[in-house]
Amino acid sequence: MRLRQGVAAVAIALTASLAAACGGSDAAGDKQTVTMWIYPVIADETAHKAYWSEAVSGFQAANPNIDVKVEVFPWANRDQALATAIAGGKAPDVVYLIPDQLPKYANSIEPADSYLDAAAKADYRPNVVKSVTIDGKMMGAPILTSALALVCNKKVFDAVGQTAYPSTWDEMLAMAPAFKAKGYDMTAYFGDVKNSLNTSFYPLLWQAGGDVFSSDGKSVAFDGDGGKKALGFLKQLVDGGYVDKSLLTTQPPLEQTRLAQNKVACIWNYTPQDVEKFWGKDNIKVLPPLKQATSMQYGTVGSLVMFKSAKNKAAAGKWISYATAPDQAKKYDTKSGFFAAKSSVGALYATDPVLGELEKYVGTTTVGPLHVKARDVMGVLAPEIQAALLGKKSVDQALADAAKAAKPLLG
Amino acid sequence: MSATPIRPAAPRRRSRVLRPEARTGLLFVLPCLLLFLAFRFGPAVAGAALSFTDYPLGADPTWAGLKNFERLVNDPTFWQALKVTVVYTVLAVPASVLVSLGMAMLTRRTSAMTRLYRSVFFLPVVTSLVLAGVVFTWVFSEGGPWSRAMGAIGLPGGSWLADSVLVLPALVIVSVWSRFGYGMLILIARLQDMPVELEEAAMTDGAGPWQRFRHIVLPHLRPALFFVAIIETTVSFQVFDTVYVMTGGGPVRSSYTLVYALFDQGFRYFDLGYASAIGVALFVMTMVVAVIQRLTLGRES
Repeated sequence: MRLRQGVAAVAIALTASLAAACGGSDAAGDKQTVTMWIYPVIADETAHKAYWSEAVSGFQAANPNIDVKVEVFPWANRDQALATAIAGGKAPDVVYLIPDQLPKYANSIEPADSYLDAAAKADYRPNVVKSVTIDGKMMGAPILTSALALVCNKKVFDAVGQTAYPSTWDEMLAMAPAFKAKGYDMTAYFGDVKNSLNTSFYPLLWQAGGDVFSSDGKSVAFDGDGGKKALGFLKQLVDGGYVDKSLLTTQPPLEQTRLAQNKVACIWNYTPQDVEKFWGKDNIKVLPPLKQATSMQYGTVGSLVMFKSAKNKAAAGKWISYATAPDQAKKYDTKSGFFAAKSSVGALYATDPVLGELEKYVGTTTVGPLHVKARDVMGVLAPEIQAALLGKKSVDQALADAAKAAKPLLG
Repeated sequence: MSATPIRPAAPRRRSRVLRPEARTGLLFVLPCLLLFLAFRFGPAVAGAALSFTDYPLGADPTWAGLKNFERLVNDPTFWQALKVTVVYTVLAVPASVLVSLGMAMLTRRTSAMTRLYRSVFFLPVVTSLVLAGVVFTWVFSEGGPWSRAMGAIGLPGGSWLADSVLVLPALVIVSVWSRFGYGMLILIARLQDMPVELEEAAMTDGAGPWQRFRHIVLPHLRPALFFVAIIETTVSFQVFDTVYVMTGGGPVRSSYTLVYALFDQGFRYFDLGYASAIGVALFVMTMVVAVIQRLTLGRES
């Protein structure tokens, strides 16, 4: 008797706890909620949160029955967090993505045609539209663009007594020994495999006239002449002792690197905002991207994207249209130091010597390969680049091995 | 364990209903069993099932048969990961067992001081491995304490984490630092079970400390040593935290372990079916090694 009562008690307790766990609150009221995940586009967290609470209150004043929740996440490991959330059914309604990420998430994204009207679409710069289009459909609503060029530290150039700035690979190699003699690095190559090659190796590949994939996307092209020249150039920098060797494999926090200690002359993978607090705004010199066969750099397009799992698509669409509208986007772009995605906004930094200079190069940048296996290819190429730069393999062998490893990925 | 009461000799009947004590015992274990099934056994089975599917992110899993395993066998990255994991285990397990044994022998006498030492030595076990990884990255870095000390005594003085041969020993050092306290406590418990008279008798017979250790202490410790070895092997096969924080699998994939490969495939490339296949391979490998160790242990006891 006692035992049967005991078993019954346990069964009831378990069922009750299961029911409590499963029964989520499904408030079917008039209020619709839209959740958005964003990353530190405005580097200062307080300023960033303040911008969004202002934007949200403006939106909610016009749409009182839509509640918008904006969450700011760090840049690091954002793909893993997002992938886990999607797989677990807890994805946000709206998220900030760059073109690099669009092919991987394409299955889960609701195309922008459903919420962007024709006028808004027409207002975007043509290369911006192209960079977020997959299979003829715009995947998101761009809100900002960025560009990388060549950023040099005037303090370092003054310390070495160098007045001319490099514009080609050969010029950089020619002036590098003078910097090395005084204890400075000409540049820095961040070779940790966690980094995207878009900002480290691919700019050199594009400058050499090469590309990552063939034009039909069915095979890789980085093992061609362009790739060999680019990797060869890097190898010359490493072998000559013009870069910090420890950065080839590990990435300490930026403030611990020689870059932050004002010991590096020029870099091509960071923006002026990234180095401002270490170099001081007056020491930042923005120059055109290095030229080999052509002058080319990486520039991204940040978009707000809606997931198919969003519960209130119409509400989410209204929020995205509001946040990416010209006047709202202009505020965001000027506060964050990025550039506009819409033609009607125009140039934002005519009077700023640093950002105004960088803004000129927005048109000569590319967002990188929009290939669904782009990141996988980076994963097999980055270790081979490390092998070549560490002297374990020749340049040709490393690129050939990377191409061989990439072949099964492309099917 | 309670001793069963001595019953009078009576014909033994097969009881259909369990004794009341056994039933109560099962009831107490039931919640834990259910939690285990739900959060350990269930996901393991689901993971094994996923390995037979093609499961990209955002789409539903579709049946793929043995495709993932065919890809696995032909993938040089997988074999590299397997090699790295085996080398790491071969380095880490003996090092961990030896250090645990050494520290256990040093702190076996119970006194206030040794109790303090034991607590201090156990602290790394409860320290977050991620935190340890971040600190040790600095320790092993170019100008960090370890590199400088190595340079001073004439060994390679650059960052061990950037050297493809020395990166695994560096990771082993962090792992041993983190885990030796656990093995140490297990061995101390076993040491205290040993009757003191045995060693005293050996001492009066004229046996030196090394002979006492080899012929009395070591045989007594054998079951505990094997237990520590099995635990350390299983943990070493699953090394991930330190690799993720300190090296990212590099340089040039020389610290690219199996679990890191699993993580890479699952969360960087979103190929969840293939990642599950790597998980199944890891499971099979761990089972094989555990069975081998069990057979060895079985012979001992």
